[in-house]
Amino acid sequence: MHAWLIYAIVALVLWGVTGVTQKLSTNSISSERSFLWFCWAMVALSAAVLLGTRPDWHVGATVAVCSIAGGALNGLGAWTSFRALESGGKASIVISLISLYPLLTVLLAVLLLGERLTGMQLAGAMAAIVAAILLSLEPAPQG
Amino acid sequence: MSEADRSRRVPLWLLWSVATILLWGTWGFVSKIASAGMDAYINQLLYTAGLLPLLVFVAYQVNRSGADKGRAHRGRGVFWAFLTGILGGVGNLAFFQALVTGGKASVVAPVTALFPMVTVLLALAFLRERLGKVQWAGLTLAFVAIYLLSA
Repeated sequence: MHAWLIYAIVALVLWGVTGVTQKLSTNSISSERSFLWFCWAMVALSAAVLLGTRPDWHVGATVAVCSIAGGALNGLGAWTSFRALESGGKASIVISLISLYPLLTVLLAVLLLGERLTGMQLAGAMAAIVAAILLSLEPAPQG
Repeated sequence: MSEADRSRRVPLWLLWSVATILLWGTWGFVSKIASAGMDAYINQLLYTAGLLPLLVFVAYQVNRSGADKGRAHRGRGVFWAFLTGILGGVGNLAFFQALVTGGKASVVAPVTALFPMVTVLLALAFLRERLGKVQWAGLTLAFVAIYLLSA
């Protein structure tokens, strides 16, 4: 198995666990306060990285801007997703709609970075997006 | 259709949802560009720097609203939120490392977006939630997708 796929699956598993821990959190506090402490944890993790590793600071301006933008985009995305849920959208519809986000990444990567997918990879990427949508659809209430 | 519906054809939740797609979809793209010139540790530090303005804004909002004041189990909620951040952050490190080690953004983003399959499996095992037929189909398709993408 490729190294990148192993890392991707590690991310998938960890993010999947956060689906449960976030739910446990918002059972007790508002989504805003929960998100605030999520951000503080990110600061704590960065402090640990700063103390425990020797990051290579030789980075170019373009990639540095992209990395900083990454934090802003991902954080803002989490915030807008809470707004979507709180402004009257049905959770299963909002979350399945949001699950379309990798489609945009695929489009941008293919059009602007010149990434090429094999037939199998294209089928896999589309299957993944459909699967994420199906997973977020709630079962109909019993009775 | 009522007057109120007519005055705002596009519901607010739809706008926020589309904004989320644009923000997260672009995040995978800029991460791939960043991965060409730095390691995952530096990315974590710069990523957090990018998150700071939002942290300040949300801290202000939470403080002003006074939400959860005197609420029971507040400490428990904060604990789980903090743990969510640590797990999510380590997940980010792994996501970035997948890009650094040559994963294409157009493949890594769809694979990692399958994380609800783990949430659903955990809910099934520990929270005793039941899955509908559609979710079972989603779970099966998720495994098929990983198989196809690993080829």
